[in-house]
Amino acid sequence: MNWQQDEPKVIDEEMLKQAIEEQGPQGQAGDISKKEGVQYEDVLQLRLDYRNILKIYHLWHFTSLTKLQLDNNVIERIEGLKNLTNLVWLDLSFNNIQVIEGLNSLVKLKDLSLFNNRISVIENLDSLRDLHVLSFGNNAIAQLENVLYLRKFKNLRTLNLAGNPICEEESYKTFVTAYLPDLVYLDYRLLDEQTRETAYTKYKYAIEGMQENELQEQQAIEAQKISNEELQLHKDAFVEFLNGPQLYDSMFDEDPDGEKLALLPGMEELLESFKSKMEALCVQIFDAGLTQHAQRTAEVESFFSCSHEAVADNRQKAAQIAADFESSRRQKILEMQQITDVELLEDHISLCQEQASQLSETLLSLELQLVDQLEDIFKDFERSISDMVGGFIEYVQGIFAQCRDLENQHHEQQLEIALATLEKVVKNELEEEIPDDMAMLLVDKDTVTNAVSASHDIHLLKIDNREDELLTRINSWMSGLLKSIHDEEVKRNRKRTSEIRNYVSYVKDELEDMRLSEHH
Amino acid sequence: MEVLPEEDFEEDVTVTDDEDDDEESARNLESSLSNIRITPTVTHITKPRPRVALSKCPSSYKENSSQEKLMLAMAENFRQQYVLLYPDRKALLLCPVNECGVQKFVSTTLRSTLLPYPELYDWEGCASFVADYLSLELLDPPFELPKQLSSPTWVLQTQRGTCFDFSIVLCSLLLGAGYNAYCVSGYATKEMCLLDQSRQECPLLQPQIQDKIEEPKKPIKKYSVKPPRDLQSNFERRQEEKEQAEAEAAALKKQLDAERLQKERERPPPDPLRGLRVHCWVLLLAGNREIPENFFIDPLTGKSYSTTNENFLGIESVWNHQNYWVNKQDCTLGCNEMTFDLGDLSKWEYVLCGQSLSIISEPKTLEEPEDEEEEEMDELKVFEMPPSWVTTINISPADMEMRYPGGMKVIEYRKAKLEKFAPYLLKDGLVTKLTTYKDLDCTQASTIKEWFKHRSDHLDERELHTDSNETTEHFRPGRSDALKYHRYLTLVPETERQMDFYSHIRTDGLARRIEKPFEMTETFEDRTDFLFYRHAVYGKQIKVIRAGEALEQRPLQRVEEHFHRDHSKPASKDVAERIFMVSDRRIQVTFHLEDERIIPAWLNFIKPKEAADSQKAQAFTPQMVSGFQVDPSTKPYTNLQLYEMLVELMKEEENVELCIRDSEKEVRSILSSREKEDSYTDLQISIYNPTRNETARLHMEEKERMAKEKKQRQKEKELDLLAPSQVRLGLPEVLTRQDALQLRTDCLNEFKQQLFNKASLIQSRMEKETEELQKKQQWYQKNYLTMSNEDEDDYLAYCSDAMFRIHVLKMRLIRHKERAPQKYLALEEKLKRHPRLASHLL
Repeated sequence: MNWQQDEPKVIDEEMLKQAIEEQGPQGQAGDISKKEGVQYEDVLQLRLDYRNILKIYHLWHFTSLTKLQLDNNVIERIEGLKNLTNLVWLDLSFNNIQVIEGLNSLVKLKDLSLFNNRISVIENLDSLRDLHVLSFGNNAIAQLENVLYLRKFKNLRTLNLAGNPICEEESYKTFVTAYLPDLVYLDYRLLDEQTRETAYTKYKYAIEGMQENELQEQQAIEAQKISNEELQLHKDAFVEFLNGPQLYDSMFDEDPDGEKLALLPGMEELLESFKSKMEALCVQIFDAGLTQHAQRTAEVESFFSCSHEAVADNRQKAAQIAADFESSRRQKILEMQQITDVELLEDHISLCQEQASQLSETLLSLELQLVDQLEDIFKDFERSISDMVGGFIEYVQGIFAQCRDLENQHHEQQLEIALATLEKVVKNELEEEIPDDMAMLLVDKDTVTNAVSASHDIHLLKIDNREDELLTRINSWMSGLLKSIHDEEVKRNRKRTSEIRNYVSYVKDELEDMRLSEHH
Repeated sequence: MEVLPEEDFEEDVTVTDDEDDDEESARNLESSLSNIRITPTVTHITKPRPRVALSKCPSSYKENSSQEKLMLAMAENFRQQYVLLYPDRKALLLCPVNECGVQKFVSTTLRSTLLPYPELYDWEGCASFVADYLSLELLDPPFELPKQLSSPTWVLQTQRGTCFDFSIVLCSLLLGAGYNAYCVSGYATKEMCLLDQSRQECPLLQPQIQDKIEEPKKPIKKYSVKPPRDLQSNFERRQEEKEQAEAEAAALKKQLDAERLQKERERPPPDPLRGLRVHCWVLLLAGNREIPENFFIDPLTGKSYSTTNENFLGIESVWNHQNYWVNKQDCTLGCNEMTFDLGDLSKWEYVLCGQSLSIISEPKTLEEPEDEEEEEMDELKVFEMPPSWVTTINISPADMEMRYPGGMKVIEYRKAKLEKFAPYLLKDGLVTKLTTYKDLDCTQASTIKEWFKHRSDHLDERELHTDSNETTEHFRPGRSDALKYHRYLTLVPETERQMDFYSHIRTDGLARRIEKPFEMTETFEDRTDFLFYRHAVYGKQIKVIRAGEALEQRPLQRVEEHFHRDHSKPASKDVAERIFMVSDRRIQVTFHLEDERIIPAWLNFIKPKEAADSQKAQAFTPQMVSGFQVDPSTKPYTNLQLYEMLVELMKEEENVELCIRDSEKEVRSILSSREKEDSYTDLQISIYNPTRNETARLHMEEKERMAKEKKQRQKEKELDLLAPSQVRLGLPEVLTRQDALQLRTDCLNEFKQQLFNKASLIQSRMEKETEELQKKQQWYQKNYLTMSNEDEDDYLAYCSDAMFRIHVLKMRLIRHKERAPQKYLALEEKLKRHPRLASHLL
């Protein structure tokens, strides 16, 4: 038992190297890997057990690791595992861990063992949604309610809690079975139908209530999602918040004068009619926006499907040509290897090289043809999409002009009412009491006119802003789309050309090698 | 070709004699049959008719009812008028004698019948059944009406008849199935009358018209790319097309000429009796059973013809079970111009006036005359056609299954011979055999196609091409080796063949295996490892010693495997093609194409040499691998990865060889089992076939027997009321009257005693209960002053309990008293009827 006397260690370079060598390939493969050296980021499995490790360290290079065993050490804190995002299997059993932590980035984890530690609370596992197997045996978990935390792991099938204080409780098994209905194995045993039934009947009401709550939450989330999607659709159509009085409301939001003026007698009716008219115009924009959006989407889809079809077609043709060439080339190489006559071979090689250049020409011309074709349809697409956008913009501008007219009209009427009221105030003919705010305004003609026109300016500004926003966004969307299509095409063309070059040069090099080896 | 009854006779005897033999000789029969050269005219029988046993005929066959006599008189009247009006026209078939020699009106010979066989529910089924079931007797002479018209029952019993008998039977069935069918007496061509189909193409050989699924035309989308510019000269192309068209036209013309010449040669000599040959067939009028158009059915072949067909030369009369019409239309140009509106008095003359016209005439002609008719009918007191004198038509299931006279039928077609057999008749399950010939005289067979049924090896169809000696076989699903189709020259392994399989049944998903002398190609479907193609090339045969046995084996030279794309892997790591060049010690691996790439990545390995006797195994070096990577920027494989890949591939190579050897083994086993199956075939018998399935029948009988026994036992189990009293009497075998009376009184007395006992028991219990209650009450009276509350409660509870019990007992007693006399009377009644007492007590 000399490991007990060993001093606690930190994981270091040497330990890792040794472990990798021990656990890596053996025999001839081992020789090869030793010669080549092992890259830490290629290692898939690592076992570091019985090494008296106190602190996890040096593991950040192992980014593709899927299985890590750190059992039977003296680890006290879970740390340094943040980069191992590909881990599926993690064993930390037989250590001195007290708190679950530092596992949040290991989202692919399916099997986690924390057996025989000092954990008292199950926590901090929220992001590990894919957990299948969990082992918390021989720990210090004391609260039965803590098990409820595990309800969020929908894939959890195997759970081990044996050896915890909660197991002493009489209702432990039924409680766990009832609240984790998807569980198949609990504490090394298969959960049979009978246990399930008794557990269910015992906690029926509590569970139903809980399910009800969960269902409601779920529904709320879904409703939220649907409304978000709808809003996103409106945003994509650039007409969000135009399907109601939102524009009108925003016009009066930052309008302190308007608020005061609204209290003038006779204003209420005026505002009401103004609001409804504004709303009607907004809805017109909104509807047009949605239909236009659908049309644009269809147009874009049609373009993409056609261009993809053309590309796929072309690719298939080219691939067929290349495959034919490759198989004939292999045949030829085999033949040439049989030839001993240097001159004859030389002839063959030059013939082959010629064929390779020919292939390159064929493929490149095919590619060029595709580029031409795509360019044609791209031009058509550009024209029709800009026509669409232009038409929509014109329409929207027309309606916004109507909005402004409406506002002007409203302004005039408001001014009229304000002045009339002012007159009445001056003549003291007003029947009702005037609030103080209003009294401040109704001092003289200039103040009233100023207030009314300030409100008017704000309103106009709001309308202008909304219009500008719509126009800039739709224009930037269009230019962005066209640019991305163009860029994609350029990228594709470069990729294909370089591919052809690469292949042909490979073929030629190969022939050159053959020629050289023959000469020597 | 003339009809030569005498010559045909002998051959017919050989055939019909064999027919009577049991199945043992069926195979011999088949071979002898194929040896016999049957002249095309032997489709009919010339043997004398069997005699009717008059004693067995029902009375309606032997005499006429008064109504029928009246009908005959009317027919005679009609005939006289007809002869007077149309002295030039031939006599009508109105009242021929039946098989018992009694005159019957033709309409009453029709007996509309619906038989309980689903295949006889539509006209196609009926027509082909009649054509198959009966054999033809020719009319003698061919230009005169038959003198005798047998009942359909007799025809079906003897399975032979003239074309008139055929039509009567078919028409009866069709009427029963709800069709608007008529028998037609008229004139037809020689081929039709003599059932000579040797100038017709066999219907089985006619190319099946396949509904071409038109490829859905791709909608031209707005942004479809324009095709690349065609740089070929239009003029040249047109010129070429022109030349091609000319060449084609010339070839076509040649072919047509050849065909015409051929036809000319085949044309039969002109028939001197054309237009005079009497024939009888069936007319189906549109309307009922969703028949859209009128048409004829020839009962001899069961085929349908349009009413304008040139084979039908004229019509004298038509009739159904209700009426008889004489044609007044001119038939010199055949039936082309005829109309079948039987209500049209200018074209058709009816025998029975008015009645049933409404059913036949079309709805539009119906409306007007109906009113008048009804009035007329009242005046005329329409005479209705008497009911058919024929008894119910019956066909037994066994006869139905035998179908053909003697279970087999041979039909000669142009360059083809069709033989049909009843299922289970031949030992190898053959039901249809079609031989096609190269020449008109049918001497050189070109293909032999056979259809089988109920074979235990699931063989369905076999076709042999005599030229190439190639056999193809089709199998139904259900074989353990999942074989679906087999094409071969011989059953020797390692020769050319093709086997198709039901791939979804096989675990290895094998769909097809094509073999050539030094090649084997296998295709697979739906495999989990995505393999879909494997091609193996063999070298010359060598001797291999395996497990101490020397085997002749062809060494593998090269194996090629193709895989579908496995989307769980990246394309550049997903193997598309593996070629194991076993003899060259090389392995080529090609990966799938990445998206948007046109050149795949590949790797070529050279296998290191294994350890031989003295040498060590060759170590792996990077020079053993060469390859191409499309994207020069990707990370190259490390040596370790390459080495591991090579090791994996070498393992795979061994596996592949094992797979191929297994395939060879399987082929050998299939071939040997096929050989065995062919030499000895069992016929499968469905468990739902009670006549053939012995075990099923036994099982059924056993079940019935058990049910019977159970019933018996249950009967015995019923309580014997007399037993106890009878035992006291010492179980006498036969009861005397005195004993019987004694028994009865004993029995009754005993029952009376029982009833009395029961009553007194209830009474005593009640008294006891009451007594106790009283005691308790007294005790309470005494002590109630000193009692605690609890005791008092107890007492009260007891009291109510006791009262309740007493009440219940009282009710029971009353009920018992009420019902006791009834029970007593019931017993007495029962004893009176008791089988052992009844005789004495009455």
